[in-house]
Amino acid sequence: MNWIVALPEIVLALSGMAVLIAGVFAPRPGAFQLTSMLALGALLVTAGLVVIAPAGVGYGGLYVADAFSRFVQLLILAGAALAIILSLDFNRQEAELARFEFPVLILFAAVGMMIMVGATNFMTLYLGLELQSLALYVVAAFARDSLRSSEAGLKYFVLGSLASGLLLYGISLTYGFSGSMSFAQVARALLSGTPSVGLVIGMVFVISGLVFKVAAAPFHMWSPDVYEGAPTSVTALLGSAPKVAALALLLRVMMGPYGHLLSQWQLLIEIISIASLVVGALAPILQTSIKRLMAYSSIGHVGYALMGLAAGTQSGTTATLIYLATYLFMTLGSFGVIIAMRRQGRSVETISDLAGLGRNDAGLALAMTIFMLSMAGVPPLSGFFGKLYVFLAAVQSGLWTLAVIGVIASVVGAYYYLRIVKIMYFDAPVRAFDRRSPSLSFVVAASGIVTVFFIIVAGPVTAAAQAAALALLG
Amino acid sequence: MIFAHIFFYVFAIILVASAVMVVTARNPVHSVLFLILCFFNAAGLFLIAGAEFLAFILLIVYVGAVAVLFLFVVMMLDIDFSELRAGVQRYAPIGGVIGAILFLELVLVLGGWKVSPLAAGLRLTPMGYGISNTDAIGRVLYTQYAFLFETASLVLMVAMIGAIVLTHRDRRRSKSQVIAQQNARNPADTLAMIDVAVGAGVKAADIRRPDPALERPGEVVVLPDEETHEPVLVAPEPRSH
Amino acid sequence: MIFAIAVFAPLAGSLISGLFGRWLGDRGAQAVSVILMLVAAFFGVVSGLRLLTGLVPDGYVFVGDWLHVGGFQADWSLRYDSLSAVMVMMVTVVSTLIHIYSIGYMEGDRSVPRFFAYLSLFTFAMLMLVTANDLLQLFFGWEGVGLVSYLLIGFWYDRPSANDAAIKAFIMNRIGDLGFALGIALVFFLFGSIRFDTIFADVVAQNHAVYHLFGANLHALDVIGILLFIGAMGKSAQLGLHPWLADAMEGPTPVSALIHAATMVTAGVFLMVRMSPLLEYAPVALAVVGIIGGTTAVFAATIGCAQTDIKRVIAYSTCSQLGYMFVAVSVGAYQASIFHLIMHAFFKALLFLTAGSVIHAMSGEQDMRKMGGLARLIPYTYVMMWIGGLALAGIPPLSGFFSKDAIIDASFYGRGGGYACICVELATYLTAFYTWRLIFMTFHGPRRGDAHVMAHVHESPWVMRGPLAVLAIGAVFGGGLLDHYFVGTGQRAFWNGSISTVNDPHILTSIAHVPLFIDFLPTVLGLLGIATAFVMYMLRPDLPALLAARFGFIYRLLIHKYYVDELYGAIFVRPYHALARAIWHVGDEDIIDGIPRGGALLARGSAGGLVRLQSGSLAQYAFVMLIGLVVLISVFLIFR
Repeated sequence: MNWIVALPEIVLALSGMAVLIAGVFAPRPGAFQLTSMLALGALLVTAGLVVIAPAGVGYGGLYVADAFSRFVQLLILAGAALAIILSLDFNRQEAELARFEFPVLILFAAVGMMIMVGATNFMTLYLGLELQSLALYVVAAFARDSLRSSEAGLKYFVLGSLASGLLLYGISLTYGFSGSMSFAQVARALLSGTPSVGLVIGMVFVISGLVFKVAAAPFHMWSPDVYEGAPTSVTALLGSAPKVAALALLLRVMMGPYGHLLSQWQLLIEIISIASLVVGALAPILQTSIKRLMAYSSIGHVGYALMGLAAGTQSGTTATLIYLATYLFMTLGSFGVIIAMRRQGRSVETISDLAGLGRNDAGLALAMTIFMLSMAGVPPLSGFFGKLYVFLAAVQSGLWTLAVIGVIASVVGAYYYLRIVKIMYFDAPVRAFDRRSPSLSFVVAASGIVTVFFIIVAGPVTAAAQAAALALLG
Repeated sequence: MIFAHIFFYVFAIILVASAVMVVTARNPVHSVLFLILCFFNAAGLFLIAGAEFLAFILLIVYVGAVAVLFLFVVMMLDIDFSELRAGVQRYAPIGGVIGAILFLELVLVLGGWKVSPLAAGLRLTPMGYGISNTDAIGRVLYTQYAFLFETASLVLMVAMIGAIVLTHRDRRRSKSQVIAQQNARNPADTLAMIDVAVGAGVKAADIRRPDPALERPGEVVVLPDEETHEPVLVAPEPRSH
Repeated sequence: MIFAIAVFAPLAGSLISGLFGRWLGDRGAQAVSVILMLVAAFFGVVSGLRLLTGLVPDGYVFVGDWLHVGGFQADWSLRYDSLSAVMVMMVTVVSTLIHIYSIGYMEGDRSVPRFFAYLSLFTFAMLMLVTANDLLQLFFGWEGVGLVSYLLIGFWYDRPSANDAAIKAFIMNRIGDLGFALGIALVFFLFGSIRFDTIFADVVAQNHAVYHLFGANLHALDVIGILLFIGAMGKSAQLGLHPWLADAMEGPTPVSALIHAATMVTAGVFLMVRMSPLLEYAPVALAVVGIIGGTTAVFAATIGCAQTDIKRVIAYSTCSQLGYMFVAVSVGAYQASIFHLIMHAFFKALLFLTAGSVIHAMSGEQDMRKMGGLARLIPYTYVMMWIGGLALAGIPPLSGFFSKDAIIDASFYGRGGGYACICVELATYLTAFYTWRLIFMTFHGPRRGDAHVMAHVHESPWVMRGPLAVLAIGAVFGGGLLDHYFVGTGQRAFWNGSISTVNDPHILTSIAHVPLFIDFLPTVLGLLGIATAFVMYMLRPDLPALLAARFGFIYRLLIHKYYVDELYGAIFVRPYHALARAIWHVGDEDIIDGIPRGGALLARGSAGGLVRLQSGSLAQYAFVMLIGLVVLISVFLIFR
């Protein structure tokens, strides 16, 4: 049975339930604070367990703990923890958000994500994905009295269900044509002889379903609306950990069971990557809402991350993992700044509200500049390394078209990142933001430090990512 | 065996036809009813396949709970269906094209039907003899697939939490006594003296009952005289015969 | 050192009057630049005489390092030999005279300091050109005079015609400069240096060098010679690149006298003479020079016969006379070429200044058909014009006779001189004709100007008349005095090796022994030309019109300057405009601008499209997802 391989998930799930009960019985005004702190503790403990838990396959081949899952799970936990920290003060400032279920749902979402990346069976995959998705649907609609938030949750839910349907259909086709749900068995079935059309069509459905979760074009339509509508602390979460988890899952599925079909899916991933790059480069140009801009920007980032997958090599996998690591912190940091955009107790969300931030709050502006430049891929910030690795991987695999489009997209994308910098420093200042809360400053500073000093830890991170890729590809 | 075939096609045809009706029916209630018909036929197909447990779960859960819930929702919500239908008509042509392409592609899948030997082997021996369908599922569900089972339970719990979070509200409007407030009252807070001219009546003095919303214990109700801003005495209206 | 003062004094004058003209005022700027020009002229003449009389030896005046790039070395240094000394003397003296003349001519103009700054700057550039010790410095001066020429032609920048003329001059010069620059580059590649001494020392060794181009073996020195000549053609307005010179008359008349008669236009000739050691080994290039020069001499002279603008007549005359000088170059009589250059500088400057005087008297009128009968009104100018005309026509014993005679004799003897000889003889006749046509139309016959203008006709002030006198002295006596040194028996000692006649050292000795008829022919032709003009414009004033009517085609051809401008308009300008417009609209606006702007537009447009797609409709999103799925499956099925 080897149940201990899933120890972190078990502990996290149990902590989630414990936190829930604690929240129910905690005195009302402080319940949110209490559960948040408990949730943070649980995440910390889980992270420790992830590091020390033994590697191996468990539950009859349903679940695996390896270097890959460990790498990604740590990222997920970090993302979830930072998202909870971001919500600490934000949720108390917004009506109805400071409810104790919020961190609990995030914990369960984290459990779902961890299960996703450790899945070695389509059923595990599906359940993990659903656990994550369902929790996220709920937190997206968490501001239930806000029409936008409810609409965001509903859209996310309906479209997510459609994607789940596609995924399930694909899984059933895969099962029907390969005879197994297990990744290893499917891979073995594909090894022998030419794959049948049905199996490959099933794979396309699976790709579509999974790609929806990472919001890659053309399955991205939900993401700007949901990003904009959801409370900003939720958007921060949506943009960070789930994307990492879903991309890791995509890596695992494409490299694992479908690994032998590389020549079949490479073109598809390329197309999705290019479409995402184009959408991510062009659509943000006309945006006025910073949250929508971030949504499109993250679509673009997914496009870059998919470049590594499209490469279909170990170096490509490494590149994608590094990209995800850098992306996570850039995104959370940027959302920290966005959450800090409050005037007279109200959130402001247009890009022009950033005008004059350089004079009103130099530290915050500097941090935002770092994140924007990093996202644009300016060396020596972390975003540069992510882009560098994926471009290298794409070129090594001979995907010149993809690499060239990626470079063009990054040039176009630099326009709107730099526009934000320009607005912050060169536009006439509007009124200063409210004093930012310490929790935000912490997240922004932490992310900023990671982004700036990634160059120092680039070696160990790359080594870890390589180990993860090696574990994935065997 | 021939009966099984016949029934398979009967169920399958009815299933597809009713699925079409779910989408095309004008009346949403009819749609839901066709959906139920769909479920019944699907259950029939499951029975033919020997999966009686799934068949009945389908009936119990989907027909018994989900579809009935749908019916409630459809009947209780005020939805303008003509508006929805306009959208359908607008997207119908391109939707038809996309659907046709998808259908053709799926037909291609069928054309390339090539079952792997592994799956074929599995099909021949679905389960051991002497074990019922339910029994077989039970044997693996809590052992081999316990991890998945627990995960599924987590999913359900999240769904439950979500439902509560999104809908449950504390009712702060319920009435309850606050004794301290009642004790702290004094007549001046609540009583206004109004001087009404003889025979003028209460209405002429513009005296009304306080707004129910304001009628809370311990709350001061001010009835100002709009012209003089002076308290007036309220006197009983003289009875007239 | 005093040589350097002569060169740099005009620069100082230019800078002072240009930069501080506003504070100095018109008088101050004039005073500064004229005084510094006088200084330059004084030192120029003194240093020149010291050299020419053998008081000091040849050499260089080192000014400073300029460029040292790899094997490429270029210093600022002034070449101090007979050729440059002669040129410096001529340039400084003529320029000083014209500066003085300009005080009167530019009286009352709005921007006098600017004019004098330009004039001095031009003088400096011209001096740099003639004292250059290497090709790069020569090119620097070359471009400098071109630039100032542009500025001065367009001096009255509020006149569109002046601006057009300035641009035309500049562009025509650029075409020539391209050849010159290519020539310099080839010289550097061939000789590894652009210093004259190094080049000249190496010419014989490089005589066999060839370029392989388009399957032909081209003699390297010939190629270089032709390229340099193309540069000279542009500057000296030789056939093909000549139209700018007549248009350059849009500038103030002193400018025409200085730049477009005496100095700048002769820079091409100077370049040929300076490069004589190289050209001596480039027979093909010399033949080309001869053909072009001879043709230009006749060609420009015929145009001059039909022009009615007094300055344009003189301008075409200049063009024609430059042709003479090139003919001299082509036959190897470089000394004769320089001789004519110097003499021409005097009498042509004189002619221009008298023309300026006439224009001044006529209140700005330049059309000869509206003049006539001025001889009595401005006798001083009339006399000066006669002197200039006689010198130009080569009537002995004026200066033009000696220099022209030398050229004609040399062309008779020179290599392949037949064609050139006929050309110059013909041009001599035409020159005399159009000169006296000019004199007769301007000073004789009925007074055709309107009464108001004629009432105001007056002699110029002394500042204008003084320089005329000096130039007239030069035009009268210069030839006789200098003949011995320039082309006569004293030439070898005089030039002291600064001009090469390696291949035909006897050309100048043989011109003393030409047949008698050749010796007398120019004079006879000149007198004939004068006589013809007399007949046509004095005795039978109806004759020109009659001829014009009779030979309408030829007349129209001449009036329109052989339609060269129109030809260029059709061949180059309009297609160029069309091309430019196409490049502008299609290339620049649509493609160059289009890539960033269109890229931005495309980005914005696509962004707009993407955003519009984002309608918020749930059904639509789902639909897009399904379309995406179908596309993926289709792609997969098609490309698998």
